[in-house]
Amino acid sequence: MGWVITMQIRLAGFGGQGVILAGVILGDAAAIEGLNVIQTQDYGSQSRGGHSIADLIISKDPIYDLIVTKADVLLALAQLGYDSTKESLREGGLLIVDTELVQPDREFTGAPFTRIAEEEVGLALTVNMVALGYLVAKTNIVKKESVEEAIRRRVPKGTEEINLKAFRIGYEEGTK
Amino acid sequence: MRYPFPVGTVDFIQGDEAIARAAILAGCRFYAGYPITPASEIFEAMSIYMPLVDGVSIQMEDEIGSIAAVVGASWAGAKSMTATSGPGFSLMMENLGYAIMTETPLVLVNVQRSGPSTGQPTLAAQGDLMQAIWGTHGDHSLIVLAPATVQEAFDMTIKAFNLAEKYRTPVILLTDAEVGHMRERVYAPHPDELELIYRKLPANEEEAKYPFGDIHGDLVPPMPVFGKGHHTYVTGLTHDEKGRPKTVESEIHEKLLKRIVEKIEKNKKDIVDYEGYGLEDAEIVIIGFGIVTRSAMRAVKELRKKGIKAGLLKLNVLWPFDFELIERIAEKAGKIYVVEMNLGQLYHMVKEGANGKVPVELIPKIGGEIHTPKEIIERIKDNLR
Repeated sequence: MGWVITMQIRLAGFGGQGVILAGVILGDAAAIEGLNVIQTQDYGSQSRGGHSIADLIISKDPIYDLIVTKADVLLALAQLGYDSTKESLREGGLLIVDTELVQPDREFTGAPFTRIAEEEVGLALTVNMVALGYLVAKTNIVKKESVEEAIRRRVPKGTEEINLKAFRIGYEEGTK
Repeated sequence: MRYPFPVGTVDFIQGDEAIARAAILAGCRFYAGYPITPASEIFEAMSIYMPLVDGVSIQMEDEIGSIAAVVGASWAGAKSMTATSGPGFSLMMENLGYAIMTETPLVLVNVQRSGPSTGQPTLAAQGDLMQAIWGTHGDHSLIVLAPATVQEAFDMTIKAFNLAEKYRTPVILLTDAEVGHMRERVYAPHPDELELIYRKLPANEEEAKYPFGDIHGDLVPPMPVFGKGHHTYVTGLTHDEKGRPKTVESEIHEKLLKRIVEKIEKNKKDIVDYEGYGLEDAEIVIIGFGIVTRSAMRAVKELRKKGIKAGLLKLNVLWPFDFELIERIAEKAGKIYVVEMNLGQLYHMVKEGANGKVPVELIPKIGGEIHTPKEIIERIKDNLR
């Protein structure tokens, strides 16, 4: 996927999937690379189960538009997240889904992120990193190494390695 | 000095977090607060950082107590801060007046949410502008700053402490839920890069006798520190130069209040700050502050692409207010639009500044969402048809 001056990225799922942490890590990676980036979020008051959306705008220019209006990339990890955000994906935009949890009604790419996290990484909680790896491989928005640095900075102490493993497996999947 | 967060480097943090870090870099060592959305993250960060820099962060029983503790800590010599949002800001109004009357340097952050009352706790608004300037009773002056980005929230927090110390006054950092909660790329300066101002202390025992006297002719009296051996009386009642209550002498009241107002007004040039874009040839000028100026900037750029000469005036300081600047713009522009997330507050000040020289129109928005650039553009284009 080619770089345009400004990229709008929306990550959607349900609370507990780590969608917002994935958004923060992606944003941090962009900041590490010297890009301008803003990240906002929207979530239900439930700690698990409600909708959860992380928005990012990454740009080589100063950012004046703060709201994701026409997403270039939409990552949906749950049907609930997809249904509530699909309208925001621009025509020709890239839709990435967890292929076992989301049934999209338009062109898409993706992989069974949750199952990969369970079976290949060994921890279902790392689904966000698997999906992030896939997204980074597909879009090249930021470099793999920048995300890895951001993961080390942002995930809870002691979980760096398993999160990095999950990210790399997802990245691998995205290059297939 | 080791800081419990990265300095001299770039980070990716929320506006609230930026305010907390900047306060500590500015030398703030006392924070008192009461949690409230969307300002709680400032308190959370302060609770983590303060013990690591030999500072104090305490939770008070409410917002009245919070600002009272901050006033006390400031008189004990500490740079001090509190942060809140709408309902808590209302509770702080009485002691904000006390801080003005006692000329106490402090920083009060208001991360605005939508009101009145408990309103929309998680959503942004700009409805507290008039309250920030005029919310406490009686004649007074103070300083109000408004950031539009996380970087500005950082930089203006440092500026707020400097102005508070320089002019011995409360300074309000008027931000909002959007800036407070969004994460952006921020450069956190190394302490060596900063120019920090500390309040003027009495040079000797004689000066310490006049904590409210203009003994240096700069309208800002030196401020004694509690516990340093001075006998100082601090009261919200009208007081003379020594701080003694004088509640019926009209000339003492007038002298005191005029000095409190003039120390801000006469230093307007030093305090006021704004950014202009395209003002040289703008026929249409959009004026705003804070978060909406980003949408307004996009609108201006789009309008220019369409051949409409638009410009933006982004006000970084809302009080003291530069009425003369608005008048100068009004003399050149064909029309002024005021964009704000309320039903018209800055609008009235701009109208006063424009002084009838040009039509001033309000583009208001309430409900928690920022104006989109499109909304601003369409409104302006509708009028051009």
